Amino acid sequence: MNRMLTKITLVLVLVMLSACTTAPKKDLALDRVRGELEDLKSNTELAGYAPLAVGEAERALRQAELATGDDLYRSYLVYMADRRIQIARTMAEREQYEQVLDKLEKENSAMLIRASQLEADNARMDAEQARLLVATTVEDAQRAREEKDKAVRKEAESARAAVMSAEEADQARRLAETRASEAEYARLEADLASQQITSLTRQLENLQLRETESGVVVTLGDVLFASGQTTLVEGGRSSLEEVVDLLQTEPDKKIRVEGHTDSLGDAEANLLLSEQRAKAVLEALVSLGVASDRISSLGMGEDFPIASNEDEDGRARNRRVDVILLDN
Amino acid sequence: MKPIFISFICLTFICLTLAACTTVRPDENIFDAAEQAIQTAEAVGGDEFAPVEMRFAREKLASARKGMEKEKYTVSVYLVEESEINAELAIEKSRTAKSRRRVNELRKSNEELDQKMRATFGDEYK
Repeated sequence: MNRMLTKITLVLVLVMLSACTTAPKKDLALDRVRGELEDLKSNTELAGYAPLAVGEAERALRQAELATGDDLYRSYLVYMADRRIQIARTMAEREQYEQVLDKLEKENSAMLIRASQLEADNARMDAEQARLLVATTVEDAQRAREEKDKAVRKEAESARAAVMSAEEADQARRLAETRASEAEYARLEADLASQQITSLTRQLENLQLRETESGVVVTLGDVLFASGQTTLVEGGRSSLEEVVDLLQTEPDKKIRVEGHTDSLGDAEANLLLSEQRAKAVLEALVSLGVASDRISSLGMGEDFPIASNEDEDGRARNRRVDVILLDN
Repeated sequence: MKPIFISFICLTFICLTLAACTTVRPDENIFDAAEQAIQTAEAVGGDEFAPVEMRFAREKLASARKGMEKEKYTVSVYLVEESEINAELAIEKSRTAKSRRRVNELRKSNEELDQKMRATFGDEYK
């Protein structure tokens, strides 16, 4: 009984083993697919771009290699492995393109940035050239003036030294005068040119400007007058030169000078003080070349503060003279 | 040992062998994944960029349906899988083709920009 059982078991095991073992016959399709995968993996440009997909392809190929059973199943697995390899190759190629794309995009934006830089450079260069041109004109004019001065002196000297006739000397003097005034004219022109360039920057740098409904307001702080005084402090007049420069850029506009005080003390007295201070500024401005027929002054007293009168800082700001370039 | 026991062992093996050979009818929804993959491939431009794979995917799916009707279940399952993987390949190929196209476009526009920069800025450029 026991021997019979062993026999049966042995036969069954043999049958099962024979079912499992497939003779390792040469499989051309599998070889071809294996070659494809090797080809992909040895391609140094593509290798490493799609590791996951390559891994899947490898697994599919191994499954096909290890497959037992019927030809249909095996050829199905070989087919799947082949497609997996193609998918991996396509994905690797795409990754490669994406990297190129990245590089191209960087190049593109770098070029655009460069373009805007160059455009800005060009604009700056144009401005610099214009500035240099004006500066050169100024220099030329100065040189001409110096030369003419020299000529004037020389002529005057030679006139004296040669003891010319009165008429000749007179003529020489007239000539010298003409040249001197030419030189002066050249200097004025040069000054004007340089003024035009520098005035705007200077105004904006040093003056407190404010745009209001009535016009541009230049606020002069409480440094112009000593406490309680109505005459300008020493040096106050020269600090007004910049204001004059600004005012002269708009020679057609009327100017109003307004005096303001803080709220300390008697209102009546403050009104008078502000009136007198405004007038002092007006006079200073006129003496610096502002046409007297376009300027007027007004005392506003303490009623138009621009800051709080509660603290000293605010009061200092309220003590001021506003020079208004009226819009109409 | 009784003959009953031997019969039992034999029966078990026969049953197991039979079970291995018989292919049960697969679920009705075995086509779903392949169908979906084909639709995705169509949406990403498979017919334009990977027409061969698209044809394979559709033909194999059609064959799989016929095989199911004729109860050739095993072949049908293989065919469905092959259909789906062809659709997948078509999707990947379409995406890659689009990347390639963008590369070419950008390369061209960069060259044009480069020329324009040279024309506009001359020696200052680069």
